[in-house]
Amino acid sequence: MPKPTAGALRVHVYDKLLDGGRPPTISEIAEHFAISPADSRRAIAAMQIGKTVLPDPYTGEIWMAGPFSAGPTAYRVIGRHAQWFANCAWDMLGIAVIADEEVRIESQCTDCGAPISMRANPRTPPVAEGIVHFLIPARRWYEDIGFT
Amino acid sequence: MSLFRSEGHLAAWLATTKQKRGEVLSLTKVFELAAAWYSDPRDPAWRPRTRDESQEVLDSVGLTGDFWELPS
Repeated sequence: MPKPTAGALRVHVYDKLLDGGRPPTISEIAEHFAISPADSRRAIAAMQIGKTVLPDPYTGEIWMAGPFSAGPTAYRVIGRHAQWFANCAWDMLGIAVIADEEVRIESQCTDCGAPISMRANPRTPPVAEGIVHFLIPARRWYEDIGFT
Repeated sequence: MSLFRSEGHLAAWLATTKQKRGEVLSLTKVFELAAAWYSDPRDPAWRPRTRDESQEVLDSVGLTGDFWELPS
């Protein structure tokens, strides 16, 4: 079977994320597209979706697929049927947009760790305490996207 | 892009970590940005934006100036 197109792989990755809260593994992608694990790993590395789908540099597994994180973060987004982790405070609201449903966000103050909860939906801003600090200027966002 | 309870907590964190203050947005503004920036990648017509298109998104929600200038 030929390697998956970038579009087919993108749709598969986000289908799995939205349905189950985590991106597919190298093995799951290989099985889904009937390709070898090595080809699956190469396909992930070649995705380069807007510089926001990034493989883990050591394992090759999907590490983040904007605005989703593959692993736990301080930005937990709880939907009707799944929960997700966002990469940052911007992305936690981006998940509500992509999921297209009302979500509950469980986060915390970066300074003191106090819980901050809010409801968010794709159409209206959340009503909650809090501000968002952008540490890195836009010209440097893509130098180290994990840190950004 | 980190969440803080208040300006006071941001100031404390900047002092502790010795980081330089960047830009601070309200949750309402970050929501506007998220709504303008993100679309469903499952849409077959989805494609990555160009640099200029991304800059237009920032401009469209009022994020202009040197801090919000994407790399060329």
